[in-house]
Amino acid sequence: MSRLVVGPFNRVEGDLEVRLTFDGYTVSEAHVVSPMFRGFETILLDRAPEDALAIAPRICGICSVSQSVAAATALAKMAHVIPPMNGQFSTQLTLACENLSDHLTHFYLFFMPDFTNAVYENKPWHEELHKRFRIPDGTSRLKAMEARAKFLHVTGIIAGKWPHTLAIQPGGTTLELDQGARIRLMRAIEGYRNFLERDCLGLPLEAFSEINSIDALRDELNTKAPSSDLALLLKVFDDLDLWSAGPGADQFISFGAYPINGEKTLRQGVWDAGEIKPVDTGAIIEDISHAKYPSMPTSPAESHSDADPEKADAYSWCKAPRYKGRTAEVGAYARQLIDGAPLIKELHSRTGSSVAGRILARWVETARIVPLMEIWAHSLQRNENYLSEYAPIEQGEGIGLVEAARGALGHWMRVENGLISNYQIIAPTTWNFSPRDANGVAGPLETALVGAKKLEGEKSPVSVQHIVRSFDPCMVCTAH
Amino acid sequence: MSQTQTFYDMIRRQGVTRRSFAKFCGLTAASLGLAPAYAQQISHALETRPRTPVVWMHGLECTCCTESFIRSAHPLVKDVVLSMLSLDYDDTIMAAAGHQAEEILQETLENHHGEYILAVEGNPPLNEDGMYCIDGGRPFVEKLQEMAEGAKAIIAWGSCASWGCVQAAKPNPTNATPIDRVIRGKPIIKVPGCPPIPEVMTAVVTYILTFDRLPELDRQGRPKMFYSQRIHDKCYRRPHFDAGQFVEQWDDENARKGYCLYKMGCRGPTTYNACSTIRWNEGVSFPIQSGHNCIGCSEDNFWDAGPFYERLQNINAFGVEANADKIGAATAGIVGGSIALHAALSAVKRARKSPAEDTKQKETENA
Ligand code: SF4
Ligand code: SF4
Repeated sequence: MSRLVVGPFNRVEGDLEVRLTFDGYTVSEAHVVSPMFRGFETILLDRAPEDALAIAPRICGICSVSQSVAAATALAKMAHVIPPMNGQFSTQLTLACENLSDHLTHFYLFFMPDFTNAVYENKPWHEELHKRFRIPDGTSRLKAMEARAKFLHVTGIIAGKWPHTLAIQPGGTTLELDQGARIRLMRAIEGYRNFLERDCLGLPLEAFSEINSIDALRDELNTKAPSSDLALLLKVFDDLDLWSAGPGADQFISFGAYPINGEKTLRQGVWDAGEIKPVDTGAIIEDISHAKYPSMPTSPAESHSDADPEKADAYSWCKAPRYKGRTAEVGAYARQLIDGAPLIKELHSRTGSSVAGRILARWVETARIVPLMEIWAHSLQRNENYLSEYAPIEQGEGIGLVEAARGALGHWMRVENGLISNYQIIAPTTWNFSPRDANGVAGPLETALVGAKKLEGEKSPVSVQHIVRSFDPCMVCTAH
Repeated sequence: MSQTQTFYDMIRRQGVTRRSFAKFCGLTAASLGLAPAYAQQISHALETRPRTPVVWMHGLECTCCTESFIRSAHPLVKDVVLSMLSLDYDDTIMAAAGHQAEEILQETLENHHGEYILAVEGNPPLNEDGMYCIDGGRPFVEKLQEMAEGAKAIIAWGSCASWGCVQAAKPNPTNATPIDRVIRGKPIIKVPGCPPIPEVMTAVVTYILTFDRLPELDRQGRPKMFYSQRIHDKCYRRPHFDAGQFVEQWDDENARKGYCLYKMGCRGPTTYNACSTIRWNEGVSFPIQSGHNCIGCSEDNFWDAGPFYERLQNINAFGVEANADKIGAATAGIVGGSIALHAALSAVKRARKSPAEDTKQKETENA
């Protein structure tokens, strides 16, 4: 038996440490440590309710729009305000833009560079991957960065600035887009479609979304786009068998994404061993047995975030969210599985969630959402409002549930006497990277790492890195 | 890591052509507000000086500075600057992980002692002996001080490293502290903003690496070339301010007409930053252009300067178009100094509020 600490973990958002116990060369136990705490939920107390729109997004520089939308949704519930259609479209456009650019960043900047690692030097695909994905100047990487900057014009046009946008409000968005802005918006989305279809996926988005099995995907790519980044990726997945690496939980949650007129574009639900059930927010608790907090109520509507850095047996600043007492995996894979994307459903029936599945799900999602963004942009009406005013919020309780790039995000907010009296946030990576709970049950990543193998002499096993990064962790959100 | 390499070698090795390099030098001169002749000087410096390593560290933060930086405007500028940095140590985007990363850090500390630039994103929390931010098994503050000791100069990225930012907001649960309070005896340049504008970040780095010195700083340690003007000074809505034309509600007719956001709580008149000139997302827009007031995210203490959405229901002398002359004259005096403006503002507020509210207001102002 031997131990290994991997950390600080690079190419993830924020700080992460993973403690591994090995039986020979195989991981037998993993502890995931979130080593950073800021106390946002305490900071938010006693402030004007809308100030959450300026403070909460600053939890995270990469999913700040998701945080904005969650805060705005919670506020809108309390204010009983419904944004006008234009405001709804522009909010969803901004959020989709952030989510999809996160998928891109994750793939090109964080996940793929691992395959340029020297341990893979003798692999037949290594040279090509090294050329495309090496840091800092891999050819695909540079193209992707440029595509990303152009695509982010969508947030620029609607919301002024990214990250830490201010334009998303409970009643809609602050800017009325003129004709020129709408045209530029459509151009930015179209530009992104071109990048995806030409370089990244190599297939028309609609055709890619309809593919319903991994075998069919292989055929399509072999015949139509053998040199796309995706085609290359499949070769690597097959060669390293990443289809079975890093298996996930048997429970998945999606809060449902991109609501238009009260209807979620991607379905909300809980996948419980093959069955899809409605989400019951009352069944969500945060266990703190191994998190550095003093004992407190477990319901996010009641709990708080006073810290206890010296707590015995606690090893992470991440609380342990549980749904009906069990762990759950969240993210693009969960969203696409629950929404019934054909490729992910077929994959799930064969392998369950895995490193390869999580990565593929992000591209399936991208291919399905970009065409919707085009529709939303076309639906913006001239001379109609983007925002509805509402009366000041004196008191109330509101839950803002959204899907961030990395999965289910919830803000639980209470206002009394015109000031915030409680605020709790459960972020996607809080679910995925949770520590053990009172029953000693490990979190999803802790479980997924068991069975990973290290090579002779490896100090930061590359297999572990693939698994960790497949979740696209956002550590700055995880503990906040 | 070869030690005798020049920046030019590095840039060329990464596939940037001679022509692009020349263009880059021109663009840089322009972005720094220098005469075209300086392009020559920049090019000469990059061709002859050995490259300076840059170490980029993260404390308590949200990584928005990195996000901003890697999206810098001109693709050429971004490529060149990224290749110049080579990011000897950056845990968000670098290739090495874990132990390897620590080794690179140690190597830089030993082999380039006194030569490297330390760029810091985020800040150290000091409560509980730094336990709120543990990096590689020890408090971030220790690692920061150790790396600072061997640095030639230090860049404080963003409002976190410069001022403390939101994690230092009341009650500052972890005692998040700006870096200049834990580092002594080293030149520190502050590049505040939450996050800073990408083009400002690249220009500052380029300046330091090219000329091997910090640009001229103001009294608060910010580069004068980007922080010497208020958002208000160059705001495209300024004519509406001067004419007394204000948005009163998010969805009113005046909002549609793009009037001034002063009454919606705009902090532009007291905020020093380059948003209204350089703008965001490759010059596409900036918060005020998106119809939202400036919240002053590059100013010290902006995080406790809320409520951000308090509206100035009515400004006595302002707000009536017919009175434009009078207002123009009044504002000309007011915007001369932020202190005068504040005074004028609170006078207005006081006039509009009941005495009880006034006391509350004062308490928050003094707190
Ligand atoms: S108050 Fe704000 S919106 Fe109005 S002119 Fe000044 S900076 Fe621009
Ligand atoms: S306009 Fe003001 S709030 Fe907005 S980014 Fe610039 S300084 Fe920050």
